Amino acid sequence: MPQLVTVKVNRPARRPIRVWVPVLPVALLLFPIVVLVVLAAIVACLVFRIGAVRALGAGWRVISALPGARFDIEQGRTAVLVAIR
Amino acid sequence: MTEQRKDILDMLAAGKITAEEAEQLIAALERDQAPAAAGLDARPKGKVKYLRVVVDATDNGEPSRVNVRVPLQLLRAGVRLAALVPPQALVKANASLSDSGVPIDLTQLKPEQLEALVEHLDDMTVEVDSPDATVRVFCE
Repeated sequence: MPQLVTVKVNRPARRPIRVWVPVLPVALLLFPIVVLVVLAAIVACLVFRIGAVRALGAGWRVISALPGARFDIEQGRTAVLVAIR
Repeated sequence: MTEQRKDILDMLAAGKITAEEAEQLIAALERDQAPAAAGLDARPKGKVKYLRVVVDATDNGEPSRVNVRVPLQLLRAGVRLAALVPPQALVKANASLSDSGVPIDLTQLKPEQLEALVEHLDDMTVEVDSPDATVRVFCE
């Protein structure tokens, strides 16, 4: 499971923005919203006749596989980096 | 990736052959090419973990660069998730793709075929050079 998401934004003539997001504390903080999202996903699975357990398992696999992903985009002197550890 | 291997994967993606047939063909291909390929591929096989996409381009005179690293495990998980897409959504996606000039029948793509594609991505390197952009897709 991802532990830390790092976001860096470099903009010309402005101070760079660097944000480190610890995933677990933020997920705990947003727990009520996470529960609502999971419930909505289960309802959607029932509506579209998809196995809810399979769907949640596949979704969890995607989240678990995120560590190591890195997206680095530069345009001139503007740069955005998103790294998931 | 060799041309023959690409042909096999294309046939697999097009649904002309099954995953088992593709595996047999690739195994036969590897048997034929093993002596010749020894020493050519310096990358340790089976240790690749990431798919990398690197784009270097010049946009309005400014250099731009996109550097994306995606874990192969994420692709595998995505394939499993994509297998859950309901058929009616696939039909709509097919229609949209067809309208966009990409006549691909997604309903013919089986999860095991996609898994086989992901499994063999480690052999793949795509390089596209144009006057104002360079694209490299490879595994590391």
